[in-house]
Order: sequence, then structure tokens, then C-alpha cells
Amino acid sequence: MDDLNQNPKLGSADRPNSYIGRSVPRERAKKLLEGKGKYVDDILLPRMVHLSYVRSPLAHAKIKSINTENAKNIPGVLDVFTIDDIEKVCSPWQGVLGHLGEMRSPTQYPLAKDVVRWQGEPVAVVVANKRAVAEDASELVEIDYEDLDAQLDMETAMDKSTKVIHDDLGNNLFWTRTVNQGDVSEAFKQSHIVEEVTLDFARHTGVTLETRAIVADWDSSEERMTVYHNGQAPHMMQSIIAKHLNITEGLVRIISCDVGGSFGIKVHVYPDEMVTVAVSKLLKRPVKFVADRLESYSTDIHSRCHKISGKIGVDDKGKILGFEIDDLSGIGPFSVYPRTSAIETNQVLNLSAASYVVPNYKAKGTVVFQNKTPMCQYRAVGHPIAVAITEALVDKAANALGMDRYKFRKINLIPDNSYPTKTPSGVPLEDLSHEACIEKLKKMMNISELEKYKKESLAKGKYKGFSIINMVEVTNPSPAFYGVGGAPISSQDGASIRLEGSGAVHISTSITEQGQGTEAVMQQIAADQLGVKIDTVRVTHGDTDATPYGGGTWASRGAGIGGEAVLKASRKLKENILNIASVIMQSEVNNLDVQNDQVIRKDGGEGISLKDLAQIVYYRGHELPPGTNAELIATASFSIEGIPFVFTNSAMGCLVDVDVDTGLTKIEKFWAVEDCGTQINPKLVEEQIRGGVVQGIGGALYEECIYDEMGNLTNGNMADYLVPMAYEMPDIIVDHVTTNSGRSILGAKGAGEAGTGGAPGAIMNAINDALIPLNTEVTSQPITPEKVLKALGKI
Amino acid sequence: MKSPAFSYYQAKDLADAINIKKSDDDSIILAGGQSLLPALNMRLSSPSVLIDIGSINELKKIKVEGSYLIMGAMCSHSQIMNNKEVNEKLPILNKLLAQVAHPAIRNKGTHGGSIAYGDPAAELPAFAVLVNAEIILSGPNGERTVSAKEFYKGLFETAINSDEILTSVKYPINQNGMKLFFDEVTRRHGDYAMAGLVGSIKQNNKINEEINLVFFGTGDRPNEAPKTCEYLLKNEYNYSDIKDILKNDIDFASDVSSSSDMKAHLSAILVGRMMKELN
Ligand SMILES: Cc1cc2nc3c(=O)[nH]c(=O)nc-3n(C[C@H](O)[C@H](O)[C@H](O)COP(=O)(O)OP(=O)(O)OC[C@H]3O[C@@H](n4cnc5c(N)ncnc54)[C@H](O)[C@@H]3O)c2cc1C
Repeated sequence: MDDLNQNPKLGSADRPNSYIGRSVPRERAKKLLEGKGKYVDDILLPRMVHLSYVRSPLAHAKIKSINTENAKNIPGVLDVFTIDDIEKVCSPWQGVLGHLGEMRSPTQYPLAKDVVRWQGEPVAVVVANKRAVAEDASELVEIDYEDLDAQLDMETAMDKSTKVIHDDLGNNLFWTRTVNQGDVSEAFKQSHIVEEVTLDFARHTGVTLETRAIVADWDSSEERMTVYHNGQAPHMMQSIIAKHLNITEGLVRIISCDVGGSFGIKVHVYPDEMVTVAVSKLLKRPVKFVADRLESYSTDIHSRCHKISGKIGVDDKGKILGFEIDDLSGIGPFSVYPRTSAIETNQVLNLSAASYVVPNYKAKGTVVFQNKTPMCQYRAVGHPIAVAITEALVDKAANALGMDRYKFRKINLIPDNSYPTKTPSGVPLEDLSHEACIEKLKKMMNISELEKYKKESLAKGKYKGFSIINMVEVTNPSPAFYGVGGAPISSQDGASIRLEGSGAVHISTSITEQGQGTEAVMQQIAADQLGVKIDTVRVTHGDTDATPYGGGTWASRGAGIGGEAVLKASRKLKENILNIASVIMQSEVNNLDVQNDQVIRKDGGEGISLKDLAQIVYYRGHELPPGTNAELIATASFSIEGIPFVFTNSAMGCLVDVDVDTGLTKIEKFWAVEDCGTQINPKLVEEQIRGGVVQGIGGALYEECIYDEMGNLTNGNMADYLVPMAYEMPDIIVDHVTTNSGRSILGAKGAGEAGTGGAPGAIMNAINDALIPLNTEVTSQPITPEKVLKALGKI
Repeated sequence: MKSPAFSYYQAKDLADAINIKKSDDDSIILAGGQSLLPALNMRLSSPSVLIDIGSINELKKIKVEGSYLIMGAMCSHSQIMNNKEVNEKLPILNKLLAQVAHPAIRNKGTHGGSIAYGDPAAELPAFAVLVNAEIILSGPNGERTVSAKEFYKGLFETAINSDEILTSVKYPINQNGMKLFFDEVTRRHGDYAMAGLVGSIKQNNKINEEINLVFFGTGDRPNEAPKTCEYLLKNEYNYSDIKDILKNDIDFASDVSSSSDMKAHLSAILVGRMMKELN
């Protein structure tokens, strides 16, 4: 068959049903707005019981005794379990993988065993007929602790005098890696200018609107475990629950209904969720656990706790000769299972300086344990740190040379015509467009106007600054991300698509929906490729019994990987449809096409509706010649081969006002130009960028998990942990450059994390630009008013 | 985050509410619930009965009596912001309430609740102290009035006895030609302030005759600053002097939002803004 003829060019707007590239309104948004979404907490099952966890109030302590008697006596309480009970049905785990060198993290039990290692670690669990009753009883569980020294500060983790959290390991080191390309010391010697900076990033967390939630329902008659879970990777959970609860994997069913935001928070294995499943198995009845907001703050993974020093060397023409970073990160007491807590630092090492031509590069990462909430991957893993250190050094070098920051970048960016190439750290790059993006950004921002505005404001005693930054984003990972290291995480995703008797088209996909519009995107691809109206297409996702096997939604992989599977499956189905139609219509396949739910004859004449075609196949198959291949279902899968990730790139900028009396920063405007390849739904892409930028603003200005010297989280509530809110958000202007990925027909890369990765660096640079006349700078995020005033010497 | 079990009682009238309050030491008044219900959910207290005073209509009135503006305890922040008389007679209240939380919270949160709760970072208690409002309390033995300056005793501690209910707050309208000031510094709109100031200045022939300052978000209660006021009557505003004197007036207490140093700094900045605006 003539491939070109049958496979329409993506996004050709003059064609009927060309949904790829159009901002089609998404059905699901209406459903959610009307409050008709179905979340885990909406699941009500007969005989369902509720859990409340008794959590460690201390950062580090020995458990001397646990007395559950009084709690068990509360009416409505079914039982109270400790690790002694849970251990019988749920085996422990270890957050290590094999592909990134030695990782040293001990066995972690689903409930604390003998020792508690962070404030919030679950120690016991109360099962009751109501959550409120379970909470009442939790207060009566008596636990006798013996305080141990808490190791809180990552900078002292490796000191001789510091308490070792896991005796067996001998020290508090989890993982370390060094990258060395070329000879940086020599490069610095050759450099005309060498600039250095050290940046701090505070721990923060994802704050999903819907907290983590799980309902586990063990059916002992079938030995079947059904789990309603608001996670991002149903098949990963299936494998892990089967393994640790010793259940046949095929008999574990994970159902993810609507998910109220995830941001990477919901892609990890949490002790309290595993215990929920274990309790269901012990009690042989449905068990619900919904983390409350206080629990979310102290048990959802944290991220971004980094201190990073960097150095850049440039020649007198502004060419970067060498770049070096040294990053330290503290991850809590355990590396998180199964993805490990090494990835954030690994990304920092891989991605620093990644937009630039840097002949000599050295990077060192050290990851240590602490008695704080475990840290792991959260939206834009490592990117904000890599981008901020890179762009801070780039600005410093440009300023030291007295060179325009835009011009300095133009000299050093990896040219658009030089792909395939590699990052300075040696990771393959293809299909990027830094030059095109920064050009577009410069025009959008109108930099000469901004310079003028800055000058005029300064004359009035107002401090304004702006920034331009470049970045790459890791999306669409291959097996090299996790699978190669031994994690049960699929890098391949599948789609199955069928034409039904009604003429409806039904896709099932292994990609999940967390509110970002997965469903809409899959509908668009299928409708576009098949030639049907968008309303004709329904989507099923988030059910391991009903969807193809796959990885789920994280690392900005849904559209690029899952979308390609849908595209391939749709094309196969279309081929089948046309073949059947050619028999029915007595016409050459090449003369047929599908448009608006009809098989049409390209040369005119009567067509046949997909509904009629399907009904012939299903109800009156005898009308077809014997042996006709009448399959109206097609399945395909896709994974990235040949490269570790499909990178995307963006250029961003922002304009800030720094009030030097109060230290408050106001972001007046934010601009982003991104290149995610084919945009299936531009509006969804733009909202991903905007939402990402907002989350990046959170990290840059507001969000921080504040611990006291005892290891107590002091602001674990929505009043004291500041998330970015609408009132403070600037206009975020988004534009695009489109360089398709050569790795797929669809050509889509990811777009989910760029904003979060780029905004913190853009904001810090803009603030420091504003502070230049005052001869000071800020280097610690979140950039609080207090830090600004300290930098100004005012407090 | 489920509150401990409690009973709920909807009071028919004031006497009914006082009766129940008196009969049960562990009972608590429920007004708008914007502070009480989160506190219960966090299990910070476990009252026996919540006495809902939300259907007592006499507590929902805004009245002008002589030279006083009287706010019933159950007037919501929004109701006050939308009241014509308030906006004519004490327009600063509108400006101030616009910084109290967000519309949904202002629709529920009440005037009496805010004054009675006495959050040291709240705007209204500071304003009440500035104009020395009269706070009307009703108990089994009838009504009594406590001046706002006497009302706040310590952190979340007020002059309300356990069997009393705050029924209304009386604000003097005619501030003797006083010019009023309000400003605060928050990181996000609607947050409790890192530091805030309500102040007043009375001038004669452009000469400052009287200056009052009350800070919020700075200590364990609304903080007056008499030494600073005295200094300002005699001297031009000067940031570093003011910051030093403020530290004599107020024991700045750090909180999660900011350090005591930061609070002292912001307080001094706010005084500067006030002197500029009102002079
Ligand atoms: C997210 C959020 C942000 C907020 N931000 C601000 C802010 O910036 N500034 C600010 O000032 N406030 C703020 N508030 C508080 C809010 O504005 C209310 O003023 C406050 O909650 C008290 O009013 P309420 O009617 O809700 O009282 P409730 O919560 O019902 O009661 C609070 C306490 O006062 C007692 N009480 C209430 N009424 C009486 C009475 N008549 N007699 C005796 N005792 C009584 C109750 O028993 C209880 O102990 C915020 C609240 C929230 C939830």
C-alpha cells in the first residue's frame, strides 16, 4: 500500500479530522469542572475499613516498646498492627539499582522496625470503621522511644563525629559519581576569566491537589488483589505489590481513576501504601488510606535539597573553555524504592551546561543520608539545579567580560545545525533548536525596551532586572533510565484501538491521566489518523486489566511514547478498515480513504459509514467473502531506541522588580519559547509550560520544607508552606519552535517539565541582574525577602 | 485530619448560647469556623460542644449609634466590606479587610471571631487596639465592656471569661481629626502579615500632635509602640533610629514566616511609609 497516500501528513489543517496540532477542547475538563471526577476517595466498597497511621514524632530514635492495647479497645477499632504483623505478609525492599555504580541503601520495612529515621515515618497502623475513629485510637497507641542523635545537615553528613544512620554502612554516603570530559584544570588555566558561584536549594515537595490515596481489596476466594491507586505507573505498582505481597502478578489489578495532580510525587513506593495493601490481605476486606495534608508534607517525597558549587572558564572572546560543578544532596534516611534517590543528582551531572559547547567538563555528585523525609524524583528532576548553576555562571562570565548576556549565549550555544551531538557530560542530543528559540525569545521580550525600562526605573529608585536562559529537558526516556538497572518499569507503551459495532472507536492506552489532558491527546491522534470525528473516540486508561502493558505517565513521556503507540495502532486499524471496505465496496484500496467516520471513494461515488462497515463485519460476517481478514482491532507499541532520552529545549526569560525595602520580588512578566516537536494540542502544551513555570516560581520564591534543629518539620501545612498562588503569578507568554523528533513518526517530544526546570534559574538571574547596581547577589532558593535583605545588608 | 468527636448545638438566641456555654466548660463558640474548624481537624483541641451562634440575627447587625459604629459579632468580613455606612464612616476597614485572607474565607469569617480569637498576626485586633474600640461581652450576669487596649492579654489570650460571648465591637467614628494608616508586608496576597501596621496621626497646622502605632504579626498580641510614637512627635523619621526604638517597644518574636530581625526591619519600613503618607 502506498504509505504516503494512506498516512496523512500530520497536522495538515486543510484536511478533515486533522486534529493533531489543534487546540481541541477536552471533554474531561468539563467533567472535572462539574465535580464529576472519580478519585480514589470516591471509591466506597462494602465492608471497607479505614486506616490511620501512628507516625514517628522524632527524627531519629530507637523504638523501645509499642503498646496498642488501649487503642484496640476503642469501639469501632478492628485492629492495630505493627511491623511484626505486617512483615508476615509484606516483604521489605531496597532502593538501589544496578546501572549507575554502587548505591548503598539498606533494607526498608513497610513500618519502622526497631528504629525510626524521620519524623513522619509510619510506626503502627490503626484499622477502624471510620477514619476519625482510627485517628482517635492512634492517639492512644503508646510508643516508648529512646532518642538518638539526628543527622540532619547534609554538609556534616560525612564528618567523623556525625551520627551514622545505618550502622552497617559505616558512614552516611548513599551514592557518588564523577564525570570527567577533557581537562578542566587545564581549561581554567587557559581561561581569560574564571567565575565561580555556590548555590543552595531548599527541600520542597509536590503538593498535589489530591493527596496520595489507595484502596486495596483482597479477594481471598480468587487470591486476587484489586488496588485503586492514584499513581502514575499502574504496571509498576502491579509488579511491586505482587512481589512484596507474594501474589501472582497477573492477579493484581491496579485501577487509577482520576488523579488530582502527581508531579512525580505519585510514582514511588510508599510504606503506608504498601501497608494498606498488606492490611487488606490480613483482614480479607477492602481497606482505604487517604493521606491527609499533614501526612502529605511529612511523607510525600521531598526533593531539591542541594548545595552546588560551579566554576566556568572563558577565553577573551567569550568562548567557554571549561565548566565544573560539585553537587551535594541530602535524601533522607533511605533511597526511595524502586527508582532510587540517585536520579536527581545524576540529572544534575548530566544536564549542567547541556545547552552549550563546552570542551572540558567535570562534575561530581555526592548524595548522603539524613534524618528527614525521603527525597526522590519530582517534576523536572534535577533540571532546576542544573539550569540555575549553568545560567548563573553564564551570566557571571558574560558580565565579567562586559559582554551582552544574549550575545554571550549566541557564541556558546550548541548550533542548531550540529546535531546529533552530545552534552558536555557525554549524553547524546538530537533535534534541538537553541539558536532558533533564543532568537524568538529575544524578539518576544523586546530586550532593548527592557534595558530602557530598567534604566528609567533605576533613576526612580526601582530595581528591575531581567534574564534570558537556555535549557534542555529530558523527556521520553528509553530503557536506559530505569529498566536497565533492574526496576520493573516499562519504557515501552502500548495502545489498542478498535472499531465497535456502533461505529465508535475505542482506544486503550497504558499511559495514565493525571489532569494534564492525556485522554484528549490520545483522542486527537486516533481521530486524526483514522479520519473520524473526535467525539467518535473513547479512551480507557489506568486499569491493568483493561489496557496494554506500559510505563504510565512520568518523565514527559505520555505523548511522545504512548502517543506514538496510538498513532501506529490507528494506522494499522485504518489499513484493516480500508482492506475490508475495498472488498465491500469493490474498489481498490488506493482509491479509498476515511473521512468524518465514512469510508469515501477518492474519485467520488458512494461511500460507506464506519458504522455500516462494522455492522457488516460483526453482525453479517457471512456477507464477506470467506477468508477476509476482518479484524477491527489493532494494537501497537512503542519505545525509544538508540538513545537514552529524547531531549527538548527551551529558552526562557523573566522581568522582576525587587523591592529593596521589603525584599519582596515581583515577577512582572515571564516568557518561554519551547520546542517539544509536534504539538498535538498547542493549548495543552502551553498550559503545561505555564503550570510548570508556576511550579518553578514556587521553588524559586516560596516553597521550602523548614526543619528545626531537632528534625521537626515546622511548616507542614498549607498556611506555613507557601505554594505559588494566582494573585502573585505574572503573565506567562509562551511561544514555540518546532523541531520534530526523528525517533518517531509523530515527532512529539515531551513538554511537561521545562517550565519547572527553567523558571528557578531565570528568576534568580533576573533578581541578580536587578541587584547589580547594589553590588550584591542572592544564591539561595527559595529567594525569600529575608534573604534579599540579608544580601543587601539590611538585616 | 479528622476532628475528634464533638456535639453540635445551634443556639436559638444569645441567652440560650450563654446558658449552654455556662453549663459546659468544654463547650466552645462556633462563629465562622475559619480558625476553629482547622484547629479541630489538626486536633489542637477537643471541645465537647460547638455552640453555633450563626443563627442569632441580632449578632449580624451593623449599626451607627451616636459617634460609634457597632459591628455585631457575627457580621462576616464580606458583609462589612460591602456595607455603605462602614465604607463612609470608617473606609480604612475596607482597605484592611481586603488583606484578610481570600473572598471565600471572608464570606464565612466573622468580625467577632477575629477579635475574640486574637491572632497576633490578624489585622482587626490591631485596629481595635489602635482606636481603642469597646468590646462588648455578654455572660450569665449580663453585659460588660472591655476596652480593646485591655482586651488582649497574651498569645491567643483575651479578657473573655469562659462563660462569656463577644456580642459586638464599638468603634469610635469621629477620630478627632485623626488620619488613619494601614499597611502590611506579606509574601502572598491574603496571607497573615510578616509585619503590619495600623497607625494614626493627629495634626494641628501640619504639626503632629498625636501619633499612635499598633503593629501586628510582630509579637504575642497587637503591639503598641509608645516610645516610637513619642520619638516621632519630636523627630523626623529616620529608619535606623526607629528600628532601634521599636526594639525597645516591642519584643519582636520570630515565626515561620520571618525572623525577629526581619519583623523589626519591616516594622521600621512601615513606619516610614506611614509618615510619608500621612504627613
Ligand atoms: C486560609 C486563611 C487565611 C486567613 N488569613 C487571615 C488574615 O490574613 N488575617 C486575619 O485577620 N485573619 C485571617 N484568617 C482568619 C479569618 O479571617 C477569621 O477572622 C478567623 O478565622 C476568625 O473568625 P471566625 O468567624 O471564622 O471564627 P471561628 O473560627 O468560628 O472562631 C475562632 C475562635 O474564636 C472564638 N469565637 C468566635 N466568635 C466568638 C464570639 N462571638 N464570642 C466568643 N468567642 C468567639 C471561637 O470559639 C474560636 O475559639 C484566615 C483564615 C484562613 C482559613
